[in-house]
Amino acid sequence: MAKLWAIIKREYLERVRSKWFVIATMFGPIIMGALVIVPAYITAKSKSTEAIFNSTILDATTTGIGDRISLAIVGNNPKATVRPKVIVVPPSALSQAESTATRDVVERRLNGYIVLDQQTLAGERARYAGRSATSIPDMERVRSAIRQTIVAMRLEKAGVNPDSIKELTFMPLSLSSERITDKGRGGSGTVSIIFAAAIAFLLYMSIVLYGQNVLRGVLEEKTNRVAEVVVSSVPPETLLAGKVIGVGGVGLTQQVIWALTTFAMMKARAPIMEKMGLTAAPFSMPDIGWGTAVLLVVFFVLGFTFYAALYAAAGSAVNTEQEAQQVVQPLILMLVGTAVFIQPILVNPGSRMAQIMSWMPFSAPIIMPLRLSMTSVPPLEIALTLLGLVAACFGAVWVASRIYRVGLLMYGKKPTLREMARWVTYSR
Amino acid sequence: MAENTIEIRNVGKRYAEHVAVRDLSLFVPRGAVYGLLGPNGAGKTTTIRMLLNIIAPDSGTINIFGQPNTDPRITNRIGYLPEERGLYRKMQVRRVLRFLAELKGVPAKVADKRIDQWLERLDLKTAEKDWGASKIDELSRGMQQKVQFIGTLLHDPDLVILDEPFSGLDPINAQALKDTIVELKERNKTVIFSTHLMDNAERLCDSVCIIARGEKVLDGSVVSVKEEHGNRSIALAVTDRSHGAVGTILNDRSLVNRVDDSNRFFEIELAPSADPQVLLRRLVEAGVGIQRFEMVQPSLHQIFLEKVGATGVEEGMTGHG
Repeated sequence: MAKLWAIIKREYLERVRSKWFVIATMFGPIIMGALVIVPAYITAKSKSTEAIFNSTILDATTTGIGDRISLAIVGNNPKATVRPKVIVVPPSALSQAESTATRDVVERRLNGYIVLDQQTLAGERARYAGRSATSIPDMERVRSAIRQTIVAMRLEKAGVNPDSIKELTFMPLSLSSERITDKGRGGSGTVSIIFAAAIAFLLYMSIVLYGQNVLRGVLEEKTNRVAEVVVSSVPPETLLAGKVIGVGGVGLTQQVIWALTTFAMMKARAPIMEKMGLTAAPFSMPDIGWGTAVLLVVFFVLGFTFYAALYAAAGSAVNTEQEAQQVVQPLILMLVGTAVFIQPILVNPGSRMAQIMSWMPFSAPIIMPLRLSMTSVPPLEIALTLLGLVAACFGAVWVASRIYRVGLLMYGKKPTLREMARWVTYSR
Repeated sequence: MAENTIEIRNVGKRYAEHVAVRDLSLFVPRGAVYGLLGPNGAGKTTTIRMLLNIIAPDSGTINIFGQPNTDPRITNRIGYLPEERGLYRKMQVRRVLRFLAELKGVPAKVADKRIDQWLERLDLKTAEKDWGASKIDELSRGMQQKVQFIGTLLHDPDLVILDEPFSGLDPINAQALKDTIVELKERNKTVIFSTHLMDNAERLCDSVCIIARGEKVLDGSVVSVKEEHGNRSIALAVTDRSHGAVGTILNDRSLVNRVDDSNRFFEIELAPSADPQVLLRRLVEAGVGIQRFEMVQPSLHQIFLEKVGATGVEEGMTGHG
């Protein structure tokens, strides 16, 4: 037991200490942070800004509406130090005034200009030209200011008390959306899809990356002949177990770090963005309980064990990385075969195909967590899947350890699959 | 405690294509330095791996320290240096050694102390430089070999098994290894090593076993092996090698069975019924200048050639090393 521990410790520490691990582990949160903050930052940058206040209103309506619109654009925004300047122009001089204003914009004396004419009064059309044309919030601000003012003028004409007009027309309405699925209301619809896809992908990536890592470790020990020294001290099965557990621990550590930093980042997101002068759009993590979280870990552990044991067997049977790539092809096929189903199952997690893929031991570690985070799966189904997966793990470990102990001391040409199958029956 | 450290009885191992070891029995007394001699492919490494329970024999039994060698408790008392050597290249020397010690049940704290002693003793830790903190692949080949010795001996094993320990060693490390073997012997440890270099074996071993094609050819203490084959050998040194009579007389099959010709020196195995006096007289009468004519015990090399013969040479035997 102490020896198994020594092996686990070595496998774990040597990997966690490596630069590769540190970089990969840091990379996760950095990408996460970038995904959360950068888009918000970019939208906020293009949010209604002071720039729009530095525009000119070319009022060719002869009604004096320009002044009221200018005030409406500023509204009660505290950042406004100036308000759009209003130039009243006769309709005949409008094109002349527009060319002047255009030149001012080009020469950066002005941000842009708004043209009001008879069509505007009719509630049909107003025009903006300038540098803020691509900013959706700015344009929305201008549009609603004009709308509001025209509605107010119409109401006045209809004899409504000017004091109540403001009350009647002011409404900063925002629309938030929520998705309803088969399961009922469940957080933001897109978020739960993204979350499920992220989980499935993370599991897939971890199993592939750390499975390859086990293979490389076994191959290194074999080509170094360290394996021979180690198996003269412990049974090969112990070495195999220590390796799988140690490397799996590294993967788990990385995922826990990622999960915690993601969680912390979600918590700290609003304050950080406030500091940067941004307002955080409301965003809620899908509500996964502790039960689901534990299940996710269990599926990772079992899935990793299943694949890592087989990867180790493959590594022990060959002598070079090139040979290894050929021997692991069946494994890759199982993993990639699973990965191609992620997308269709995301779209339709309740389908029969999704069910079957989530039962198969080779795809269950990836597809079942995906389903779990999208829909509710009956507990009996989860239990049976776990049972099957555990049985498959035992099978894989048994086969792998038998190939491993023969392969580890076999040098020379690459064995065929048939030969490897025969090794399983060797006594030693 | 059992008198024999190792008892191998009627062990056989066959692979799909060939028989690696056939009905092998041998006994290594406690405190002995034991040589396992044979040409390449004779089954030495297979025997050693079966000893270490890395592979299991098809038949026969192996006992070490009086216990079946499958008993996991005995592995902590064995040190093993495999033929082809290597260590985790990216790992720090100290960490590799601590790991190897832990695999033998030595707690990390105890190991650390011993590692420092060994590093100092083998000049891997000096006032200027502590190689213990370096990674394995920053070390020269010779230094890596030293680290591997340390790893073999760190847990102070009672039985040390070395597979072709001298192959690939530079002269300084070869000397260090010899010194270490002698020291282990003085401390009543048992050492068994395989080699195809007879000179080393002759000088170091108390007992030897010669195997060829997976079978034991002979075994016993070096002294008794030599006595059994003794007194039919003559060491001859001549002043003038080019004297025509030398070749003629030594090729006379009624007198001489076999000659190991080293130019000015010959090791001669007499024909079964030949009289050494006749040989000496004929050489003197022919006028050959004689520096030395001595009845000697044959060298292990000579015995090896006699027993394994040309087939051994065929299979990759490389004589004096």
